[in-house]
Amino acid sequence: MKTTAQNLFDLSVTVNGTRYEQAVEPRTLLSDFLRHELGLTGTHVGCEHGVCGACTVLLNGESVRSCLMFAVQAHGREITTVEGLGTIEKLHPIQEAFHEAHGLQCGFCTPGILTTVVPFLEQNPHPSEEEIREAISGNVCRCTGYQHIVDAIKLASDRMNK
Amino acid sequence: MSNSSVGQSLPRPDALGKVTGQTRFSGDLSRPGMLHMKILFADRPHARVKHVETGNAQAAPGVMAVFTARDVPVNEYGLQIPDQPVLCGPGSDKPNTDIVRCMADQIAVVVARTESEAEHAVKMIEVDYEDLPVLTDPLQAMKTDAPILHPDRGDSNICVHYKIHKGDMDAGFKSADVIVEGEYHTPVQEHAYLQPEAGLAYLDEEGRITVEAGGQWTNADQSGISHALGMPDDRVRVIYPAIGGAFGGREDLSVQIVLALAVWKLQQPVKIIWSRRESIVGHGKRHPITIRAKWGATRDGRLVAAENELIGDAGAYMYTSNKVLGNAAITSSGPYFIPNFKTDVYGVYTNQLPSAAFRGFGAPQALFMAELQMNKLAEKLGMDPAEFRLNNALQDGLTMNVGTPAPGPVSIIQCIHAARERFQWNKYRRRRTKPHIRRGRGFAAGFKNVGFSFGYQENCWAKVEIHGDGDIERVIVHHAGAEVGQGTHTVMRQVAAQVIDYPAEKIQLHTSDSATQGNPGSASASRMTFMAGNAIKGAAEAALAKWKTEERPAIAEYKYLAPRTTPFDKETGHSTPNFSYAYVAQAVEVEVDIETGQVRVLRVVSADDVGKAINPDLVVAQIEGAIVQAHGYAVVEDYRTENGRVLTDQLSTYLIPTIRDIPEKVDSVLVEVPDPNGPWGARGLGELPFLPLAPAIAAAIHDATGVWIDEIPFTPERVLRALGRIR
Repeated sequence: MKTTAQNLFDLSVTVNGTRYEQAVEPRTLLSDFLRHELGLTGTHVGCEHGVCGACTVLLNGESVRSCLMFAVQAHGREITTVEGLGTIEKLHPIQEAFHEAHGLQCGFCTPGILTTVVPFLEQNPHPSEEEIREAISGNVCRCTGYQHIVDAIKLASDRMNK
Repeated sequence: MSNSSVGQSLPRPDALGKVTGQTRFSGDLSRPGMLHMKILFADRPHARVKHVETGNAQAAPGVMAVFTARDVPVNEYGLQIPDQPVLCGPGSDKPNTDIVRCMADQIAVVVARTESEAEHAVKMIEVDYEDLPVLTDPLQAMKTDAPILHPDRGDSNICVHYKIHKGDMDAGFKSADVIVEGEYHTPVQEHAYLQPEAGLAYLDEEGRITVEAGGQWTNADQSGISHALGMPDDRVRVIYPAIGGAFGGREDLSVQIVLALAVWKLQQPVKIIWSRRESIVGHGKRHPITIRAKWGATRDGRLVAAENELIGDAGAYMYTSNKVLGNAAITSSGPYFIPNFKTDVYGVYTNQLPSAAFRGFGAPQALFMAELQMNKLAEKLGMDPAEFRLNNALQDGLTMNVGTPAPGPVSIIQCIHAARERFQWNKYRRRRTKPHIRRGRGFAAGFKNVGFSFGYQENCWAKVEIHGDGDIERVIVHHAGAEVGQGTHTVMRQVAAQVIDYPAEKIQLHTSDSATQGNPGSASASRMTFMAGNAIKGAAEAALAKWKTEERPAIAEYKYLAPRTTPFDKETGHSTPNFSYAYVAQAVEVEVDIETGQVRVLRVVSADDVGKAINPDLVVAQIEGAIVQAHGYAVVEDYRTENGRVLTDQLSTYLIPTIRDIPEKVDSVLVEVPDPNGPWGARGLGELPFLPLAPAIAAAIHDATGVWIDEIPFTPERVLRALGRIR
């Protein structure tokens, strides 16, 4: 780890498969770095202190809250944001299921839920409904009432296991 | 039809952008040369601002400008009446705009090159306040000797008073065999949409001040901004990017006017994003209402008289209190025929945050009282609560409390039957699990107007274009109605697709831009399917007729006008206030832990008359979402203030339901009794499932434990107190 004269930190991080070398202030939050420096605005900020889960991203494949991390903590690691899961032309099966099964309404919480569900289904490909509920219990949605989100995760798990 | 679309559960086209992170909410927007804004909010709830010292802030690094009250050309705004200063402070020519009346008031704005520079500079503004007495209780504020919060608007803090009076109250109560009296308290609720307020403003290619910020009614936002800037409407343009939830909380302006002011002064793009704290302190809330009620019925189970008094805290400014409380007046009878009826509804200015629109718009509060009165009467009469409701249900031709019949068909009876059957109400057996766990069931009903009320000529604009040569190659729908997450853009496509017999997924939708579209009206009052559906249907039919006469392209505009309504008579409330209603009934089962006071809702059956489900999956999604939000209102959410200051100003202190807090099962029953004026019979839905849940849970708690709890929320502490287990 190096810091430059203006007390900037030379950050090296891979985001969605692209390697970035960028000088950042040590206090820059990971969420702000992704949104403002890289323009990856799919990562949403809903509460700024880890309650709502909208800012969840994958750090070396694990779900983390990007509003609770400094960008420098991701130094030398790999980040995946919602933009890295799939594209409109080639959706990730979980994205596809949320689209088909009405797993969202306003969509502001959706990126954080998707990045919570990706590692969950990798670790537990055949979850029970109870396990699905536990898995997303740290993500807040104000629109859906959650049932359609659970249904979408079930659909995704069925599809991914075929 | 090959492309039959109405009644199909088509997926949402906007979901593709939302699952890939491509969708842009207002906080995601940027433009070259963009500056950043930070707002200085009032730090006390009632004070005169004697001086605002901005010198140090102006000299701070990166600062481009600091604006105060003296910079706002017409320093007032408000959706119903302009009673709130844009910026509070001396130097503007409107009277009393130097007075701060609540913590949501804004004092100054800083515009700087970066967000952190703006944040740094805003702390350097010094405000010299002269504190004024703080009124936090509407019952105190309505007394004649209370200090007046809006002296230029009369000599009382009572800003709303509606009276409804029908029949002979004395004779009515004399004929009653049983009478139930009660006092009820309903709380503030915070919208807590996941996306905090944000916006980007700039000058468009024609030099118009353009504001991209989520709202619920493009034209209302536009005229609020242009009024404050002293400009004609066409100098201001409002565009809606994706909107991260609204629920009524985006009806009133938040960041829009100050953004527009800064762009106008600086001629450069300006952006702002509110923090969660700024969002919670900066926008209005659901009205807390204190309700006294006295209802009487005969031994054979007929309502004969009901008398209510509702005192609502309007907070510091009107927002939509006059409409919310009008709606509370209408719904304060429940969906029942009561021959002798009297309601007095007051709205009172205080130094609390403004009370505003919130899903249900006065009905959840009034129905909490009405439905608990019904449950208590049924208990006193020894009658089944569903049966007692059927005995008294409104029907076609029976007059409502406003002295006129409801526009038909009135379907509350069908909803009560549907909820009762799905729940298997009559076969219910209380299961016992552990000694400290008590189970019970509860029933409640409700109704709600669809569309704007009280003499406003409801209208909604749409334009449809059909392009092609021999065959239709392209269909474009123009509509400004706000997609706040409810799925209205999907419904709009389905409506046009059905009329034109064209695949819904291929229809292009041009959305929410005040510069290119006519007035959509608000995404509120459960009105968008009904109003936009009729408008787009009309425009599509007209465009199709032109297409058939070989007009190429075939383009038609259409403005749907709903049936006329009338305002309340001042003394009796006599009126035809609404052109359409929707009806709902719910049955719930709860479990109460009498040792901890914890209430768990095991099951909710919600039977909602939607008239026609244009997209059944979206209807079910609205029901599930509304029930979880209503469950938050009834059981989880606990908004606290102290002397006008919000104590629960974060999502870590204002808790909203996670998936671990919600009813274990929600059963949606779609009742479809067509409204003759609705598109394909559709009524309105968005608010409906919210309405009866709190009183249904209260009735179930009573069934489980024997105690009535007349105040929301049913927190463990309140339940234990009701059970006599704590003081």
